[in-house]
Amino acid sequence: MIELKQVSCKLGTQHFSYDLQLPLGQIIAIMGASGAGKSTLLNLLAGFIEAQIEDVEGVEGAGGIFFEGQRVDSLEPSCRPMTSLFQEHNLFAHLTVFDNLALGIRSNLKLNEHEQAQVEQALEQVGLANMGARLPKQLSGGQRQRVALGRALVRRKPLLLLDEPFSALDPALRQEMSALVKDLCQQHQLSVLLVTHEPRDALALAQKVVFIAQGRVHWQGDTSDFLQQTDDLIKAYLGQSC
Amino acid sequence: MLKLRSWHAVSGLSFALVLLPMLVALGAFSAYFEQAQWLQYITDTYIWRVVWFSWWQASLSSVISIALAVLVARALARRQSFFGRWLMLRCFSVALVVPSIIAVYGIILLHGRQGYVSQLWHWLGGQPHSYIYGLIGILLAHVFFNLPLATRILLQRLEAIQPETWRLSSQLGMTSKDLWWHIEWPYLKGVLPQLAAMIFALCFTSFAIVMTLGGGPKATTIEVAIFQAIRFDFDIAKAVYLSLLQIAFCGFILWCGLRLGRPIDIFLSQGGAANHAYMRPDLKPLRGKINDTLILLLATLLVLLPLLAVVIAGINEAWFKVLLDERLWRAAGNSLWVALSSALLSLVMAWGLLLAQRHWQQQRTAAMAVEWMGSIILVVPPLVLATGLFIGLSPHVNVFTINLYIVVLVNALMGLPYMLRVLSVAYLKIGRDYDRLCSSLALHGWPRLRLVEWPILRRPIGLAMALVAAMSAGDLGVVALFGSPDIQTLPLLMYQRLGSYQADAAGVTAVLLLAMSLSIFLLLERVIGGPRD
Repeated sequence: MIELKQVSCKLGTQHFSYDLQLPLGQIIAIMGASGAGKSTLLNLLAGFIEAQIEDVEGVEGAGGIFFEGQRVDSLEPSCRPMTSLFQEHNLFAHLTVFDNLALGIRSNLKLNEHEQAQVEQALEQVGLANMGARLPKQLSGGQRQRVALGRALVRRKPLLLLDEPFSALDPALRQEMSALVKDLCQQHQLSVLLVTHEPRDALALAQKVVFIAQGRVHWQGDTSDFLQQTDDLIKAYLGQSC
Repeated sequence: MLKLRSWHAVSGLSFALVLLPMLVALGAFSAYFEQAQWLQYITDTYIWRVVWFSWWQASLSSVISIALAVLVARALARRQSFFGRWLMLRCFSVALVVPSIIAVYGIILLHGRQGYVSQLWHWLGGQPHSYIYGLIGILLAHVFFNLPLATRILLQRLEAIQPETWRLSSQLGMTSKDLWWHIEWPYLKGVLPQLAAMIFALCFTSFAIVMTLGGGPKATTIEVAIFQAIRFDFDIAKAVYLSLLQIAFCGFILWCGLRLGRPIDIFLSQGGAANHAYMRPDLKPLRGKINDTLILLLATLLVLLPLLAVVIAGINEAWFKVLLDERLWRAAGNSLWVALSSALLSLVMAWGLLLAQRHWQQQRTAAMAVEWMGSIILVVPPLVLATGLFIGLSPHVNVFTINLYIVVLVNALMGLPYMLRVLSVAYLKIGRDYDRLCSSLALHGWPRLRLVEWPILRRPIGLAMALVAAMSAGDLGVVALFGSPDIQTLPLLMYQRLGSYQADAAGVTAVLLLAMSLSIFLLLERVIGGPRD
């Protein structure tokens, strides 16, 4: 279980506040209009933005971000049980594919034989075997995202945070990448939070949807229910697309 | 047949303004080829020492400025909320328009025989000794100007690093050392060669600083040697030889700079917008905090203290006497006139060149030639050009009566590369974005200038004119060559007062000159550039 209790933050003049409980072992889509606070939710989880914890009804210490009951919001980003994938800029342009993956194991790049084998194995799993020596600029957009996915795998964190990871890709590639993510998550028993603005992605991948509006969780439930909603905000968001 | 249009006239005028002085100068030089004793010059050890010193001081200045700038930019990038940050960035952006004679004066006040540093040293029980005249003084002054310039460019690079990269690095648990090798160094590496070439060229042709703080046989650059050959030795053939040497070296440096890639955008971004997405994992350790504080303190002292010393020295009883002196007002008037005319002339030149470039976008060679024309002053440095004009015009006119016009012309040419750098991106973009729209709406001539070009260009025009005007107001190079007791400018007056031990009067003049340069800069930037959003 991932829990956010009374977690809030302020960016500029906008105020965000989240209360949320999510089961593990599933792919959950986070949807909402742009600026509603989808990415902010992931950034708070990952520790890229400092969370303010409001006390729950006067009980001190009850608020916070919890992962399987453990409080994680005071941990450094690198120590939290999760790993992120962004829409772009996931790779270091001057490092080879292999080194970009190796950074997920050791940030000084000094790997032992066993760890090198781990990197090779991850490359194989994302379909990039024998591409380790290439530089990111020699890869296509889809391949670059595969490298980033490979690094997420070698980090061996139970929770994967995907922030519009396929938005820059063509439709056919999106499907391919979605299938890959689904496969890998089953294989490695990962939980996934996927920020997307594409209802089709949600349908294809996610069992559950969390809908965010005006900096709060507005609705959550099964994906199939989501598209049938008569709620005004959700209808306005979906428009005629489904 | 070629149909004449109005842009032909504007471009033709600016080609003439840029090329004619060069041709006059080169023609004047060629008349002295026969007189020159080439063999004697080539074996002259003094000249070789001057050449060696020019390269040596420019190399040291660039290496020190850039090395310090890397440290300062990194510290500034890390400390987004450091409390003197705004003041420091502001100081760094005006350092470029501080007249060089003012920087020299400030450095003398700090490091000179009676300076604050000596006094402090003496108070601590040490034996003060003079170190400022010669290489060390020159380096201090060059670092004063180039550290801020380099810092701003490098900081801009560091702030262009994607927020995702920082998030990634914090998730991967990178240490400060990892961040440097995996993120910052690869980003900075790209601009360093061009930055180094630019600073090297600036220091290599530096005149006022070397003339005031060096100038002896041990510390003279080619630029100063040309001046001395004309003003002190009356050996014009030698000045011609030195000028040709200087042209050859500058051409070489510029060629190296061009081979290293496109020039860098220096001015447009102000930098320093605090960014909430900007987080990096190495901000907490105490050692880093102490290091950054020390570096920022050192940089502030290097740049701020000389200016502060100038202001303090200006507070004395000589104000009344200086202000009542008619010479001061005439000099100030001349400087103001030189500043505004140079900026305007430079704008006309740049406009003509850009017009031609826009119309010739399809012909690559022609466009390249125009681009080169804008940088010609970098190959033929101002003092060389002025020397050529001096020699070429003196048989026909009394150069001392038209000296201010020559000063304006040369200063306008000196400002041209900056002018073009600031204007060209916006100007050529208008051509690409709106040319078709304008011609479909039959919008051309004056209405187009007023409705399309002006609103888009006034910000960059304001900035560029402010820069050129402030630089010309503080120029002490060409003026020194042509200056006569009758025609003064503020920097020249300042230079003479510095030499004649009128400490109080020099202090007041310095404050006036500094105030004038800064207000010209700020006023033009605001008045022409329009209000900020």
